[in-house]
Amino acid sequence: MKLYEYEGKILFRKVGIETPKAKLVPPIENLPSGKLVVKAQILEGGRGKRGLVKVTENPVETIKEMEAKYGIESFLVEEFIPHEREYYLSCLIDRDTQEPMFAIGKGGINVEEEGGIITKVVPTERGVKFFDAIEVSKLISAKPSSIYSVLKGLYDLVVDYGAELAEINPLAITNEKAIALDSKVIIEDNSLIRVGDTLKSLGIHVSKPSAYVELDGDVGIIGNGAGLTMATMDMVKLAGGSPADFLDVGGGADRTHVRESMLTVLRNPKVKKVIANIYGGITRCDEVAYGIVDALKEVNKPVFIRLSGTNEEEGERILRNNGVKVYKNVMEMVGDAIRS
Amino acid sequence: MDKNTRVLVQGITGREGSFHTKLMKSYGTKIVAGTSPGKGGSSVNEVPVYDTVKEAMKEHEIDASIIFVPASNAADAIIEAADSEIKLIVVITEHIPVVETLRAIKYAKSNSSTVIGPNSPGLIAPAETMLGIMPSMAFSKGKIGIISRSGTLTYEVAEIVKSVGQSLVVGIGGDPIIGTSILEMAKMMDDDPSTEEIIVIGEIGGTMEERLASSISKGEVKKKVIAYMAGMTAPREKRMGHAGAVVYMGMGTFESKINAFKRAGVKVAKTPYEIKSLL
Repeated sequence: MKLYEYEGKILFRKVGIETPKAKLVPPIENLPSGKLVVKAQILEGGRGKRGLVKVTENPVETIKEMEAKYGIESFLVEEFIPHEREYYLSCLIDRDTQEPMFAIGKGGINVEEEGGIITKVVPTERGVKFFDAIEVSKLISAKPSSIYSVLKGLYDLVVDYGAELAEINPLAITNEKAIALDSKVIIEDNSLIRVGDTLKSLGIHVSKPSAYVELDGDVGIIGNGAGLTMATMDMVKLAGGSPADFLDVGGGADRTHVRESMLTVLRNPKVKKVIANIYGGITRCDEVAYGIVDALKEVNKPVFIRLSGTNEEEGERILRNNGVKVYKNVMEMVGDAIRS
Repeated sequence: MDKNTRVLVQGITGREGSFHTKLMKSYGTKIVAGTSPGKGGSSVNEVPVYDTVKEAMKEHEIDASIIFVPASNAADAIIEAADSEIKLIVVITEHIPVVETLRAIKYAKSNSSTVIGPNSPGLIAPAETMLGIMPSMAFSKGKIGIISRSGTLTYEVAEIVKSVGQSLVVGIGGDPIIGTSILEMAKMMDDDPSTEEIIVIGEIGGTMEERLASSISKGEVKKKVIAYMAGMTAPREKRMGHAGAVVYMGMGTFESKINAFKRAGVKVAKTPYEIKSLL
């Protein structure tokens, strides 16, 4: 679950990472004066490149412009922090060592492309120590004490708040301090059972994780199981088509859940046709078939269905009786869908 | 792992635990005991239930445990099994917080236990035993080893190569932190005389597939490996269903995996259905 910048900064302050003085808009009242930074609060990255981060002395006007031009409703107005240098600093769980790891690099909007990132693994048995900060401060040339607060804070977000990524880019270095100018915090969905209530009490939104990922194409994709669904997307692409989404109905999906999943995809205006690739294990093909038929009664678009596995004969019969062709061969289904 | 492997089911009284205990038993898996705190003394499908793993160990010889405990207590269940020195721990449960997973796995490893999963469909040695939730009709005894990060794709590929048959099929799990990696599993299969060729089903995220490829290049895995990778069309920084299927900081992209396998001389199937022609 991705947090908004201002929410990430609520957590930053909680764990002792310094942030600029700021105000969340709306309400658009009592704004500070002088040189300020206005930042649109949206969950997508690349705001700088899209003109959604602006330095201004007239925040009201800047906010009105962004509202009118992009339809954005929420803004963070921050004091402008003059600084000498900026860096990239993040903490995440390293899969290879299975321990939390810091990534440190030169700051900027193209940090991932430019490379040059140094990593440092800090095992959970010992946690962040002051000597880690001395080491990192030599890379970042800042006071070890200020770096220590930042490292410790990011580490706590990963270990105690279930962040799968806690990132500062840029981290501004002034002559005395290290200040987080931006925040990117992603809370691991599985950790919400532990930290969801704490986040809510801090004023942070908690949303249910979604299995639906929208893409740019026009072929709707549904599958059961993440791997099979991804494989189906890829086959559509290989056959010359363009997937419109990824939607895994999950294990053991019943009629209602399949109907809702189908409708999510069918109602996407970009979707011209839908491919569903189902291999029933725990999932029963008859439940899937009923769900598909129910959905098509509400929104009718061309559908291409592959059903195999548990109760496949029954599922096939239900779909055929409702005028829907059933495929056994996935490649044939994908081919027919792309050519249609 | 064979038909004599004695299995404990942790979380045996739950919906999934009791249902799959029945299916595993009918496949021939030797399930000797189950646990469920507070339900000790009862039984499920004629399997005696204990409150703790320790109590079950007192009454039975146990080689392996399969965990169906809900996510909020599943990491503790791994630690409990490891504490009783159970050698193989298969974790079916999904949605365990990753920090809890890494601590539990670390503890299990320090007690010399092997963990498969979490978020795993389990493992099956066809015609011998099954510790998992796999649909058994997709499998037949043979010489192919399958290692997979995905559940349904495992069943699909097993069925595609069913006429050739499988020696061992392992779903290692779709989480970012798992107990046994693709490489560790491939090395075990490389040493196992009943396996002739290995199929690897990977996906975007992490660098397990790249590490296998580099080991193959060094000659550390000698048997023929065929790979299929899912996620070619996945956008960056979007999680594709599995908690582990996400690309951060450019690590573990589809291209990096395919290129690593190609450099190692591993044949890569474009679709799961192409795998059979590459055997």
